[in-house]
Amino acid sequence: MMLQTLPVSSAKSIAPAIPVSVLDNLAARFRPGGLCLLMLNPDGTLVYHDSAAGLFFQRFCVPMVQYPDVSAHLGDHVGRMTANSTVDVWNSLPGVVIAAFPYVEKRKLAGIMLLAAKGCTFRLGEEVLRVCSRLGIDGIWLNQQAEELPIYGDEAIQRQSRLLLGMIRDQVRLAGLEGELDSLSGQLANTYEELSLIYQLSSGMRINRRSQDFFKQACLDVMEVMGVRGMGVAIRHAEKPTPEPVLYGSMSLPPGKVHRLSDELMQALSGRKSPLLVNNLVGDKTFGWLSDYAKQLIAVPLQREDEVLGCLFGIDKLVGEFDSVDSKLLNSIANESAIYLENVMLFDDVHGLMMGLLHSLTSAVDAKDAYTCGHSERVALLSRHLAQEIKLSEHDVERIYMAGLLHDVGKIGVPEAVLQKTGKLTAEEFEQMKKHPEIGARILHDIKQVKDILPGVLHHHERYDGKGYPAGIAGENIPQMGRIICLADCFDAMTSNRTYRKALPLEVALSEIRRCSGTQFDPGLTEAFLRTGCDGFRELLRDWEHQTARLADLQMTLRTL
Amino acid sequence: MSEKTILVADDESHILHVVSLKLRNAGFRVLTARDGQEALEMAQANHPDLLITDYHMPQLSGLELCQRLKQDETTSGIPAIMLTARGYHLEPHDTEESGILRMLSKPFSPRHLLSTVNEVLEGKAA
Repeated sequence: MMLQTLPVSSAKSIAPAIPVSVLDNLAARFRPGGLCLLMLNPDGTLVYHDSAAGLFFQRFCVPMVQYPDVSAHLGDHVGRMTANSTVDVWNSLPGVVIAAFPYVEKRKLAGIMLLAAKGCTFRLGEEVLRVCSRLGIDGIWLNQQAEELPIYGDEAIQRQSRLLLGMIRDQVRLAGLEGELDSLSGQLANTYEELSLIYQLSSGMRINRRSQDFFKQACLDVMEVMGVRGMGVAIRHAEKPTPEPVLYGSMSLPPGKVHRLSDELMQALSGRKSPLLVNNLVGDKTFGWLSDYAKQLIAVPLQREDEVLGCLFGIDKLVGEFDSVDSKLLNSIANESAIYLENVMLFDDVHGLMMGLLHSLTSAVDAKDAYTCGHSERVALLSRHLAQEIKLSEHDVERIYMAGLLHDVGKIGVPEAVLQKTGKLTAEEFEQMKKHPEIGARILHDIKQVKDILPGVLHHHERYDGKGYPAGIAGENIPQMGRIICLADCFDAMTSNRTYRKALPLEVALSEIRRCSGTQFDPGLTEAFLRTGCDGFRELLRDWEHQTARLADLQMTLRTL
Repeated sequence: MSEKTILVADDESHILHVVSLKLRNAGFRVLTARDGQEALEMAQANHPDLLITDYHMPQLSGLELCQRLKQDETTSGIPAIMLTARGYHLEPHDTEESGILRMLSKPFSPRHLLSTVNEVLEGKAA
C-alpha cells in the first residue's frame, strides 16, 4: 500500500473558533524547532497537520497518526482525553514523541492538539522498519530525513506544548474578540443609523411647521432606513373619536382598510410599552385580515405618559423580517415624535387660549359701545386683507391681524358717556377720546406675546400729513402697521351704522378713501386698498359673517371652561 | 468586476470599525489608517479605488491629505468622500481642487455612506 499524499481538510475552520490560518501560523512558529503541529477530532480522526512540515513528518509521522492500522493504535490515549486533561506525552508510536492536550470550546472537548517530534526511540529499530515497509518508504532514506531533526525528551516536548497551549488560548481569545468587535461595530452602525435619523427628524421639529409635514417626512425617512414597503401614521385629534390615518409608500391598501388598521392598532397598542411586531400576518388573531394585502406588520404607540396620542406603523420589510433592531429604531422615532406631538398640542392649546382671551378682551371693548359691535374683528380682517394685498410675509400678516383686533382696547379707559354720546363731542371729551391709543398700548404693554403690535395700536390715529395723534408724526415715520390699521379703521367706521348716522354705501366710502389719499392715508396703501373693489369687499363681508359665527362658538366654549 | 479597494482614514477607531464592517459586508476590500500621514503612505502604496477620510485628523488633515494625493500623479485619480463634523462646510474651490466628490456630516448614516460609495464608484466607472 502506497500512501504518498494525504487528504487535507478543505474546511476553512476546523473547530468552530479556530480557523486553519491560525493553525498554520502556529505550526510555522514550531516548525524550525523540529516540531510538527497536528490536530485530531475528539474521536481521533486527523483534521489538521502542518502541510509544510519536513518529509520525516509528512511521510512517516503523520500517516501513522492518520491511519491507525499502520502502527500501534492511539485510541487508548484519545479515549482518555477529556476537556480537563493536562498536557500528556504519548510514546506509543515508534520513533516519535507526541505531546497532546485538549482543545476546549464552550467547556467541551472540541479536539486534541498534538505536537510531534523525533523521539529517542528512533534508532531504525524493528518497529520503525515495520512501519516503513507498511508505508512503502525506505528506512535509510527516512534516516537521512530525520538526521537533522532534534530528539525531544518527554519534558522538553511538554514544555513546548505548554507554550503552544498558551498561544492557542490567546488566538482563540483574539478570534473571539474580533467577532465581538464586529458585533459591536454592527450595533454601533445601527446606533449611527438611528442617531442620524433622529438628528434629521429633530431638525424638522419646528412648531410652526404643519405636523402633517413633520410626520410625512418621518415616515419617508423611516421607510428608507428600515427598508419597508409602507409606513403610516395615525394621530388622535381632540375633536374626533378616531384618528385620521395616512399611509405612505408603495402599498395599495384601500382607505377603509387603512382606517380599520389604525383603529385596531390604537386598541392593541393602548397600555403597551413595547412595539407590536407581527412577522406572519396569516392566521394572526387580530390582524389576520391584513394578510390579503401584506405579510408583516410593526407598530409603536405615540404616547404622552399613559395616553396614546397615535401610532406609527410599518408594513412589509423588503428583506427579511422585523427584528429587535427595527423595533428599537421605531421606538426611538416614536419617542421623539411623541415629544414633538405633545409640544404641538401644548402650543395649540396655549395659542388657542391666548387668542380666545384676546377676542374676549376686544368683545369687552365692543360691548361698551353697542353700536360698534364687531368693529375690532372687522378692522382685523380688513387689515389682514390689506397686508396680504401688499405682499407682507405670512408672519407679518398675522401680526397685523392681531393689531387690528386689539387697536381699540384702550377704549376701556374712556368713559362710556363719551363713547356712547350721540351728539358732537366737546373739546374736553375729544381729548379723553384721543387718549385711547395710548391707554391701549399701556394695557398691552405687559403681554410679551403682543409687544410687537404695540406700534399698530399706538399709531392708528396718525395722519399721513402729520395732523393726527398721539405723536403727530407723518409719512413713512408712522409705523406701517399703524398706517394699515388707520385705513381699515376709517373704512369700517364709514361702512357701519353709528349712533349718529347710517352706514355709507360702499361706493361712497371708497371715494372718500380716495379723496383722503395723501392727506389722511398713505397713498401707496390706498391704491392697494382700492384695488380690492366693491365686489372684493362684499366677499370680505361674507368672510366676516362666517368669522362672527366662529367667534360665537369660541365664546360659548370659553364660557364653559 | 474585480473587488474594489477602499481606504478609510479616521483617528476615531469606532468610526473605522463601523465603516470598514459596513464596506466589508458589502464586498469591498478595506484598508484602514488612523491618521493622515499613514493614509497618505497607504494610498501611495496600494492605489485604492476610493478614499473615505475624516476632516479632523492629527498630523495631516483630511483636506491636506486629499491635496497631497491630488499633487501626486500616481494617486491624483483617487476620488474622495469627506466626513466632517456637523455644521462644518468646506469652500467649493477646496473640494473641487482636491478630488473630494462628496461630503457627509457626522453623525452619518452608514447606509447612506454605502450608497454614496456606490454612486461615486459608478460615477467613476462611467
